[in-house]
Amino acid sequence: MEAITATPVSSRLGWSDRLGQSLKRFILSPRWLAIVVALVVWQIYADYRDTRLIPTPIRVFTKLYEIVVSGLFFEELAASMVRIAIGFGAALLVGLIIGILMGSRDSWNDYLKDLVTFGLAMPGLIYALVAVLFFGLSLWAPVTAILATSYPFVAVNIREGVKAISKELLDMSRVYQVKRSKVVLQIILPSLLPFALAGFRLGFAIAWKASTLVELFGATNGIGWQIRASFDEFSVHGMLAWALLFGLVMLFIEYGILLPIERYFGRWRPKVKQVM
Amino acid sequence: MEATAISVRNLVKTYGDPGRELLVLDRISFDVATSSLVTIVGPSGSGKSTLLNVLAGLEPYKSGNVEIYSSAGGSKLGYVFQSSRLLPWLSIEDNLMFVRPQHVDKARHKERTQRYLKMVGLKNVGQKYPHQLSGGMQQRVGIARSLCVEPAVLLMDEPFSHLDELTAEQMRAELLQIWQATQRTIIFITHDLQEAVQLGDRLIMLDYQGHIFEDIKIDLPRPREFTDRAFVDFYADVVRRFHQMQAKRAEELTDSET
Amino acid sequence: MSLVADTSVPASQPTWAGQLAESLRRFFLHRRWITFIVIGVVWQVTAMTANIGLFPTPITVIATSWQYVITGLFFSELGISMLRIILGFSAALLIGLIVGILMGSRRFWDEFFQDFVILGLSLPGLIYALLCVMVFGIGLTAPVMAIILATYPFVAVNIREGVKAIDKELLDMSRVYTVDRWRLVRQLILPSLLPFILAAIRVGFTVAWKVSVLTEVFGGDSGIGYQIRVDFASFKMRGVLGWGILFGMVMLAIEYGLLVPAEQHFARWRAKVKEVI
Repeated sequence: MEAITATPVSSRLGWSDRLGQSLKRFILSPRWLAIVVALVVWQIYADYRDTRLIPTPIRVFTKLYEIVVSGLFFEELAASMVRIAIGFGAALLVGLIIGILMGSRDSWNDYLKDLVTFGLAMPGLIYALVAVLFFGLSLWAPVTAILATSYPFVAVNIREGVKAISKELLDMSRVYQVKRSKVVLQIILPSLLPFALAGFRLGFAIAWKASTLVELFGATNGIGWQIRASFDEFSVHGMLAWALLFGLVMLFIEYGILLPIERYFGRWRPKVKQVM
Repeated sequence: MEATAISVRNLVKTYGDPGRELLVLDRISFDVATSSLVTIVGPSGSGKSTLLNVLAGLEPYKSGNVEIYSSAGGSKLGYVFQSSRLLPWLSIEDNLMFVRPQHVDKARHKERTQRYLKMVGLKNVGQKYPHQLSGGMQQRVGIARSLCVEPAVLLMDEPFSHLDELTAEQMRAELLQIWQATQRTIIFITHDLQEAVQLGDRLIMLDYQGHIFEDIKIDLPRPREFTDRAFVDFYADVVRRFHQMQAKRAEELTDSET
Repeated sequence: MSLVADTSVPASQPTWAGQLAESLRRFFLHRRWITFIVIGVVWQVTAMTANIGLFPTPITVIATSWQYVITGLFFSELGISMLRIILGFSAALLIGLIVGILMGSRRFWDEFFQDFVILGLSLPGLIYALLCVMVFGIGLTAPVMAIILATYPFVAVNIREGVKAIDKELLDMSRVYTVDRWRLVRQLILPSLLPFILAAIRVGFTVAWKVSVLTEVFGGDSGIGYQIRVDFASFKMRGVLGWGILFGMVMLAIEYGLLVPAEQHFARWRAKVKEVI
């Protein structure tokens, strides 16, 4: 038995070794087993029940492929994205204002807390239905519904962010008579950033769901509308295809865009906890 | 009276994957007599906490033999940790009941908890929750807990290192009184040489290679104060030996680099 | 034989009823009423003066809600919806607990279930509602299955965090003192998990509600969701809003009347209560 009394060798691995290890773990991961099991169970269940009701995995993926390749997916995606961009943009603004107010003064917190709680508790369904009833098929319907559904999530995270701004750092800046703009730029904004990102991520996920809901009831295009169409046609494989695409888009945005951004801006932190 | 409580033979302990192992304890052998108070010192990373964990059965070892002798059906171990390790959602009384050994019935154990809480000066604290007690008091509860299972061996891992010096000093004096009253076999780990010499009737010094560098009997009467010439001389000698060990280590490091 | 002087410490352990009373008091003596009044007034004035014929005034909405309550419609439909929710949520809780415990204890299960949980969290409850309605038709199966599918990931995620947060030092301590398995589970593992279980229930219940109502909207013949659809189809906006408000009130009542006091009661040994998600 060779013994070493220096630092363990494992801490001196090069990056290529670590990449190799990561790849190995990825390939040998149990997740593939899980996917195989899921597909098998699905196939068996589809065979057991009426295949009109439960489509086979192949059928669903074929449909999915068609939708993407024909470009339909991107058309509908764009239509939904426009609505989300406007609606969520407004939600960010409103949520920011409310969050900052609530975080800075207790009085504002008392006034506004219920708006936020109520907003969190209310199902997006109600907002969607009311918006459609009121605005019909115009762009206003999705925009207001998205705004109403997602602003509370942004507000809550911003509020926590404001409350978390270190009074000690602010006091220290005051002692050193640091210029206001510097304080905002180098203390307040960096403090808020992780919370703003967390709020953005959560709010964005909610916005997507809200927009889909509205498109279900009052739209003529968009991913939600496609899902409605599948439902009306009783096309289970169609809906599953669109649902999977929807899920993939969300996962892509979450892991491909938002998470890396959050990690980049939060790299000085030991950990970021998300509110709600 | 000179029965053996613990017997360790050629204990080898390593960390890491086979082929790339880090040797922490290298063929350690020693016996501990019952009712003795043995202090184990060593620099950080010398494996003293690991040794305790192996004795406690918390960590496996590569080879060798470890035996703890207890009376038939009696509890083997009590352990006092650096942090109190009390269950925060149980009262102090319930925390002590939590460790009731299988072979002791509730009433008898309850009587013991009350007796030992009283012994550490926490008679009325039974219904409080840990967060309501100070650090020193929580450590005392930990000590009471270790006592009330009436173990063959009491293991203590730097139990006073997280306390302020005044409290720690007080706790050391109390520990000696408890030891003399209960006659338990105690293994006490510390990085503080002074604490080790003040408390133990035997001192084991580990070195950086996982060997026993020194095994010294301490025959001095207690309390050991710095006003006592014999104690000062003895302590100075121990410090000297400790520095010898460190010098040897420095030598080896420079040797290996050439 | 006491070797050291005694020390005394104050005690403070509030009761469940005490917590509830305190909650109620703080609810009513509050600035929030100013906000409500302001909003109510603005809404009323806008609806009356501006030419928004279709949009109901707050008074109309409240009157409609009141109607539903008085006629007993609210309670009967609520009962039906609640039945479905309780069935579905209980199942989801059980499954989520099992998956969460597995994921938290062994890396194998963590990776195994990971994709399902993430997918489950990303897909809106809407999709599950629609799918289950299509596949299972009208009846009890659709809402229950939809609730299970939509809710278990939230439960699993919280439980997983709870399992990973079980204090290893306390586990080691228990091992040294050879505490037997049953006592370990009852006095160490379950209390450790409790705040996470409560958080899981709070989040899960919210999700379960929303999904259940959605199934009723698209494929129900009873329940609150069905009533909402009926009003929507008849362009009865005050009805939709009315149900929405009633719905919101029930959720708030459950949250603040049941879940929050429960959480504070079970966490009274703590100085503060922290919540995951």
